[in-house]
Amino acid sequence: MQDSLSLDLVDTFAAIILLTDFMLVASGRMRSLTRLFAIQSLALGGLAAVVAFETKAENIYIIAVLSVALKAIVIPRFIDYTTEKIQVKKEVEPLIKIPGSLLICAALALLAYYVTEPIMDLGTAITGNCLAISFATVLIGLFLMVSRRKAITEAIGLLVVENGVFLAAIAMTYSMPMIVELGVFFDVFVGVVIMVVFAFRINRTFDSIDATSLRGLKD
Amino acid sequence: MIETIALLPLAVSLICFLLNRRTRLIEATAIIGAFLLLISGGYASISVFREGPWSEGMWYIDQLSALMMLIISFVGFLAILYSISYIRHEHEEEGISLNMVRFYYTSLFMFIFTMVLVVVSNNLGVVWIAVEATTLVSAFLVGFYNKGTSLEAAWKYLIICSVGIALALLGTIFVYASSIGILGEESGMNWTSLMAAADQLDPSLLKFGFVLVLIGYGTKVGLAPMHTWLPDAHSQSPSPVSALLSGVLLNCAMYAVLRYHILLTHSSVGGEFSSDLLLLFGLISLVIAAAFIIVQKDYKRLLAYSSIEHMGIISIGFGFGGFWGIFGALLHMLNHALTKSLLFFSAGNVLLKYKTRGIEEVRGIARTMPFTAVLLLIGALAITGSPPFSVFTSEIMVMTAGFDQGDVWATVAYIAIIVVIFAAFMAHISKMVFGEPPEGMKKGEVSKVGLLPMIVLAATILIMGLYLPDLLSDGLRSIVDLFGGA
Repeated sequence: MQDSLSLDLVDTFAAIILLTDFMLVASGRMRSLTRLFAIQSLALGGLAAVVAFETKAENIYIIAVLSVALKAIVIPRFIDYTTEKIQVKKEVEPLIKIPGSLLICAALALLAYYVTEPIMDLGTAITGNCLAISFATVLIGLFLMVSRRKAITEAIGLLVVENGVFLAAIAMTYSMPMIVELGVFFDVFVGVVIMVVFAFRINRTFDSIDATSLRGLKD
Repeated sequence: MIETIALLPLAVSLICFLLNRRTRLIEATAIIGAFLLLISGGYASISVFREGPWSEGMWYIDQLSALMMLIISFVGFLAILYSISYIRHEHEEEGISLNMVRFYYTSLFMFIFTMVLVVVSNNLGVVWIAVEATTLVSAFLVGFYNKGTSLEAAWKYLIICSVGIALALLGTIFVYASSIGILGEESGMNWTSLMAAADQLDPSLLKFGFVLVLIGYGTKVGLAPMHTWLPDAHSQSPSPVSALLSGVLLNCAMYAVLRYHILLTHSSVGGEFSSDLLLLFGLISLVIAAAFIIVQKDYKRLLAYSSIEHMGIISIGFGFGGFWGIFGALLHMLNHALTKSLLFFSAGNVLLKYKTRGIEEVRGIARTMPFTAVLLLIGALAITGSPPFSVFTSEIMVMTAGFDQGDVWATVAYIAIIVVIFAAFMAHISKMVFGEPPEGMKKGEVSKVGLLPMIVLAATILIMGLYLPDLLSDGLRSIVDLFGGA
């Protein structure tokens, strides 16, 4: 079943995911953040589709479709709509300058390879390579969350982390049991909706969604 | 049967949502819902303690779930009763609208529903979904007052716990990967199948998975250094919700960690790996909690840090292991839930009366609200581990386990920190209880009805400190057997 075309496709999609990680860190505009996240989710969906084709497991197709529909179309639009509605400034406002951020992310990607090396060969055959990239995506997503000022960028970082987790699921076990997979999608979607609701409320109360204005609670 | 019990709070939540005319009607629904919750949850726990696990397809209640059910239904019941007087007071005096009241009870029952879902599922993936759902629902309760600080707390809670939980999902996938070759796709996340095949699971994947799960769910348990959301969320939410967060939700997250800990104990990894990690995180939590309790200026945050302390103690108990370690930690989960709820209810009364959370501004509760003062003192003495209350018993058990297992230094540190916390905590509380009340403060309790659940709690922790019912101790004993006897 190890068709070399599929292998190439899987590797290409994984490469796109890693590339978008870096571009997310490098991008300075809110619009491009959501675009890049959409592209990343599209690549994730494509990867899932190839895996579904290879393993002939229908349920993975559903994951591919959901991932494209929700994460590549609905959620990015929803976030764009929100940022427009509450008139967020268009700049990303990084707390760490972009060249420095990129260096840190390169280090994180190396760390991901280093950490996953001992368990790489335990992953399934055609997606084994993706494990390191999934870890890199998780780490870079976390970095995005802590290094950007806006509350909305925290939410996007979280979504990137979740993409990484999904990639890990595909890399290690092809997918999760159907009911779990659907539940996870549901939670992610509801989570985004709730975060947007809070973003609106925060904006109304503080007149900005700058996460640095959320520093009132201290010991 | 399990489905009915699990869906009950969901049904009550929906009914509350549909009632949009009269507060009294919503309150009546909530009270009936609370009673049904108590009866059904209590029945499930008792019958599982007596006759062994219930297994119905994807649902599964063993003794560990039964203990959690008991905590959820009992503390849930009392928190709803207390809410009636608390929220009514806010509705009548502070201008919380009818819609907000309706929203409060809808979310509250939904929150209880998600917590029940955590403990009755046989599938570790569904456990994850339910834990994430608890965060999503309770974020609304944390941000209930819609002020700057409560929105900040809710946002932090949402973001930090979601990140934690994403890591827990990664850990769940690792454990699934360790089993999929043996159990196949459908049962690879099933708890009962995993346990049956525990010794064949891949050890390095399990270890990796456990670390991620401990950090992930540990965030939700409030283990330091992932605890930063906890003091904010606990101090900003309405007091009955604080009690549920602290007494019940933290335990539910701990329950998720324990499932993996038990699995590792039975696998070829052995229990040592996960116990050592639990012990380490427990000790860190204890130290951090002590530091912040000493310098605390806000009494609800004081209680929140005390929750971090007690989650640390529970974690240390499981870390020490052995019969007394595990038995003590399990008992401590229950004791902490009861005692901390009593304290949050008392704090709620104080907050309604004094309208401030500052320890410095609250003086002379003994004069203004004598009943609350007595109950608050009982709660404070109990939570800091004074005899004859039940927390004392379980703390001593954990200590004994430490010496038994030969972890002398860890045990000495444990005792020393608990003593420090006792002194600091009591100093804060006694300042609040005694002294001259501020000028113009009227005498009288906020609400007589609200005292009832507090009296029930105080009586329970006193009785449990003196005598442990056979049913409960047999139940706890059979949970210890789940951990491999030890």
